[in-house]
Amino acid sequence: MSQKKILVVDDDPDMRLGLQLRLTANHYDVIFAADGVASIAEARKHMPDLMILDLGLPAGDGFSVLERLKVNESLSAIPVIVLSGRDRVGNWDRALKAGAKTFLQKPVANDKLLAVIRLVLAESEHTATTVYDLTGPGAN
Amino acid sequence: MTTPGNFVAPEQEAAAASRALRVLLVEDNAGDARLLREMFSKEEAGCFTLTHLTRMSDAEKHLARGGVDIVLLDMGLPDGHGLETLRRARAAAPDVVMIVLTGLEDEALAAESIKEGAQDYLIKGQIENRALPRALRHAMERHRMQAETDAMRMHQLQLKDEFLSHVSHELRSPLASIYSFTTIVSDGLAGETNAQQNEYLQIILRNVRQLQSMIEDLLEVTQAQAGKLKIDSQPFSLDEAIAYAVATQGGAAKEKEIALSCQSSADLPLAYADAMRVRQVLTILVDNAVKYTPDGGLVNVQARVCAQDRSFLEVEVSDTGCGIKPEAIARVFEHLYQVSDPAIATGRAGRRGLGLGLHIAKELVTRQGGEIWVTSEPHHGSHFFFTIPVFSLQELIRPILTEERSAGECIAVITVGVTSRDGALELPGRILASVREVLKDCLRPDKDVLLPDLGPGGEQGLFFAIASTQEQGAEIITKRILGQFERHEDLRTNEFNFAITHSYLPPIVKFANEPMEEFVEQVAAGIQAHIHNVILRGKG
Repeated sequence: MSQKKILVVDDDPDMRLGLQLRLTANHYDVIFAADGVASIAEARKHMPDLMILDLGLPAGDGFSVLERLKVNESLSAIPVIVLSGRDRVGNWDRALKAGAKTFLQKPVANDKLLAVIRLVLAESEHTATTVYDLTGPGAN
Repeated sequence: MTTPGNFVAPEQEAAAASRALRVLLVEDNAGDARLLREMFSKEEAGCFTLTHLTRMSDAEKHLARGGVDIVLLDMGLPDGHGLETLRRARAAAPDVVMIVLTGLEDEALAAESIKEGAQDYLIKGQIENRALPRALRHAMERHRMQAETDAMRMHQLQLKDEFLSHVSHELRSPLASIYSFTTIVSDGLAGETNAQQNEYLQIILRNVRQLQSMIEDLLEVTQAQAGKLKIDSQPFSLDEAIAYAVATQGGAAKEKEIALSCQSSADLPLAYADAMRVRQVLTILVDNAVKYTPDGGLVNVQARVCAQDRSFLEVEVSDTGCGIKPEAIARVFEHLYQVSDPAIATGRAGRRGLGLGLHIAKELVTRQGGEIWVTSEPHHGSHFFFTIPVFSLQELIRPILTEERSAGECIAVITVGVTSRDGALELPGRILASVREVLKDCLRPDKDVLLPDLGPGGEQGLFFAIASTQEQGAEIITKRILGQFERHEDLRTNEFNFAITHSYLPPIVKFANEPMEEFVEQVAAGIQAHIHNVILRGKG
């Protein structure tokens, strides 16, 4: 079975490298974008199985990326996990309404992130309608 | 010019102060009205304009049109009496200054009116000639200052909220990188580490967690101060919350060789509170107890029904720590309070945090209707106590029973039983949460009540919705619920059945005078007697 491809969108190079090391160690193929515009271009080019999206981005924030994915026929099927340092209050609802599968707050525990990725990938193989409520206590 | 209903900007009012004050006198007693008019007539021309009305209904219309700065309001009018007149006047013109006129015997009522938003009251027959214009000017000035202070306070609170939200975001991102790379190294993704290196990496991680919880604390405190703490009460087992808190603090206790234990009485009733918030309170208290107890000490958590008031559960967290000095006991729940004990500051548990934990605990407990307190003796440890309400069906139903109802209305009880097809006892929290969301979507918050997790099926997530409606009662509500379930495909694709049963009950007016217990029994009997199943089967 071929490796799943994950597009990581974050403007922080440290964050990108950290996620790259963690995800490749768990047998995912990782590609990157550092801003809103690039994220759409990369998504088109690579058609990833999953996108991990930060909210605060240059050239179109995470919400506008979600909006653009949603209206594009070929990209709208890509499941998105929002991973942001912003407050849960407000942003969680907003991200889910904009089409994200879930909202995770930085810093997110590795186990939790990997479990969510597995869940979302498994789900997207069947249907794409489930929204996961993962607001458990404590991110670590 | 100012219009009623709009916010009156302070500068606008300042301008108003320099021209004629437009006074509306609402007074039905001709003698009283004449006296007041005479007082105004003695004032310099151009200081006041006076409009006199005798009925509340006319005053309301006049106020709604605007053009009034201040109202002199009699509280005994032919079509309005007591505080009600004030409420109506304020509803018609919320930003207009109100001064209440009362008789000598009504002073208590007048004092009450201040609480309802009147700026002042004047006792008829006791108003000195020159005092009236002064009272009006003072009332205007007080009103202006109040509006200014309120606006400033709101602005400052908003700034603080924005600032803290921004700061916490900025802090979380670098913290995420520290966490990420520390675990990359400790998990061996960048090469083998030896035991000592690993131990040091664990210290970094412990500190990351501490920083993270401090950031969360900061936000919690701001939200608590702004009255924005979200509390979502549900019935839940206190035992489990305690077990959770004890388990999460187990590591820290073990490090200090502290014996951490918990007990509760076997038949502890369910609590009615926000389970997450109660866990948070427990975590704060247990964490504190472990932190302030020397190596080899004891920390114990106990739960019981409150002896003084059986409608509450009481939790006690006791330790054999350094205790709290008598003069400090009253202050431990204060904002930013910290015990200044050098033994703690240098201890292994180390830094003392922000001093917000107990303050947050107090906010959380009091917001859920409970109390928190501490007893302590220096060098003999502390006992922290808090209470939360016991789950009671009666209490939950009370609001819809006390509401005034017309005879035609009926009450429908709907139970939604969620059962797993393979007979597994535990349903994933995710499924239960989704079901609950669905039910929330289709119930109307002002009319229907959702009573989740009742009875022996509690763990399986049995939901009761009590709905009152003038429509065809249960039929309509059932349709609403089914409709919602259909939209939530995901619930049905899982291996769970959703059984919706509903039953009609006689019109609510029949119950209104009966004792609550009887009503609850009938509800329970109704559920069992009229089982009318609509079962949605899973797809697979």
